[in-house]
Amino acid sequence: MKTARYLLPVLCLLTITPAFGQVAEGGDFMHSIGKIYVVLAVVLAIFIAIILFLVFLERKLTKLENQIQQND
Amino acid sequence: MLKHWWKILGVAILFYVFVAGLLVPLKTGISAVSPQKVAPGESFTLEVTGYNSRYTQAQGQIRAWLKQDEAHALAAGSVTVLDDRRLQLAFAMPEYLPSDKKVQVLTLLIDDPVDGAHVLPSAMFVTQDSIAPGLAGSAWTAHPVEGLHEEWTMSYPFRNILQETIRNAYFHIPMWFAMIFIFIGAVISSVRYLRKFDPQDDLKAAAFTRVGILYGIMGLVTGAIWAKNTWGAYWSGDIKQNMTAIALLIYLAYFVLRNAFEDPDKKARVAAVYNLFSFAALIPLIYVVPRLYDSLHPGSGGNPALGGEDLDNTMRLVFYPAIIGWTLLGLWIAQLLYRADRLRDRLWMNA
Repeated sequence: MKTARYLLPVLCLLTITPAFGQVAEGGDFMHSIGKIYVVLAVVLAIFIAIILFLVFLERKLTKLENQIQQND
Repeated sequence: MLKHWWKILGVAILFYVFVAGLLVPLKTGISAVSPQKVAPGESFTLEVTGYNSRYTQAQGQIRAWLKQDEAHALAAGSVTVLDDRRLQLAFAMPEYLPSDKKVQVLTLLIDDPVDGAHVLPSAMFVTQDSIAPGLAGSAWTAHPVEGLHEEWTMSYPFRNILQETIRNAYFHIPMWFAMIFIFIGAVISSVRYLRKFDPQDDLKAAAFTRVGILYGIMGLVTGAIWAKNTWGAYWSGDIKQNMTAIALLIYLAYFVLRNAFEDPDKKARVAAVYNLFSFAALIPLIYVVPRLYDSLHPGSGGNPALGGEDLDNTMRLVFYPAIIGWTLLGLWIAQLLYRADRLRDRLWMNA
């Protein structure tokens, strides 16, 4: 169950990717409107990296909380 | 709340960076022209596609030149406005060019009071069969380029390949600046550990290093996305890409090393020394080696840093705050990591 919690977002991302691919094939999506979507992709990459880091921190704190409970 | 002032400041600065970085428009530019090749003596209509242009508002006041150099420019005979984005310029290319080159490259220069002056370098290539600069005639000097409208507006430069991606200057480049500042924090913590052997300093160094690596990875990924859409490939083996990848691998080894020791004192001591080594390796890899080779990065060949032309004064208003904002955010993340590690160590001591 625990792995499913982390796998789910990854699976969601995988299902979205082909949709992006179709747009790109049709009309060069990334280069449209002065390449503004490149900026969007860069900002999203930073956002995803920070969220993944938060998940890492979350797991770390959960581990600590469990230890505190065991100690009590 | 008062002791968190720097976190609030960091978030406020980043908010400003996102708003100003994404909303300030680009200057007017020229995104495409056709045809791009003509022969001497040919009369032709140049189809121009503008970017962020308002040609219908400027109708009747638009002037255009095909410029060879400061002294020689061919003015457009007539200007037809199709819509805000499209112009038709009628040119009559003289039989001879005031140039002794076989293929002469001309710059397109458009000026109007609404959008100001905007240029497309290398807009047109003229191949001369017979070269006679002396016969070029008066067409090249009859309507000199003068009285250009260049007013300061709150806008970012238009660069032909970059276009809107020039905004990545606030998201990709500050990652590296912030990474360096955070690694400097790690080095200071390591030096302090080696002087006083306080385990807290070791935890601080480890937290800084984690965030530094996070920023380095974000820098590489954002750089790869940007490169794909401007240089054509995610990874083109550019000297800066390769060297930063090596530097990050050296830093990743810090954690491999740190986790290899059971004894906490030994672990902290080896980690602190290795941290000094990785920082000593990082500086030449990022600041020295890329300056010795050609690079796709701006200011290539000699100085792969920020060039004067790629960062104008409007961009500085956002770029420098962006560096401060991303650094403060990194310090915040590092502080959270350090506090979690300190909690864990306290727990183990009590257990």
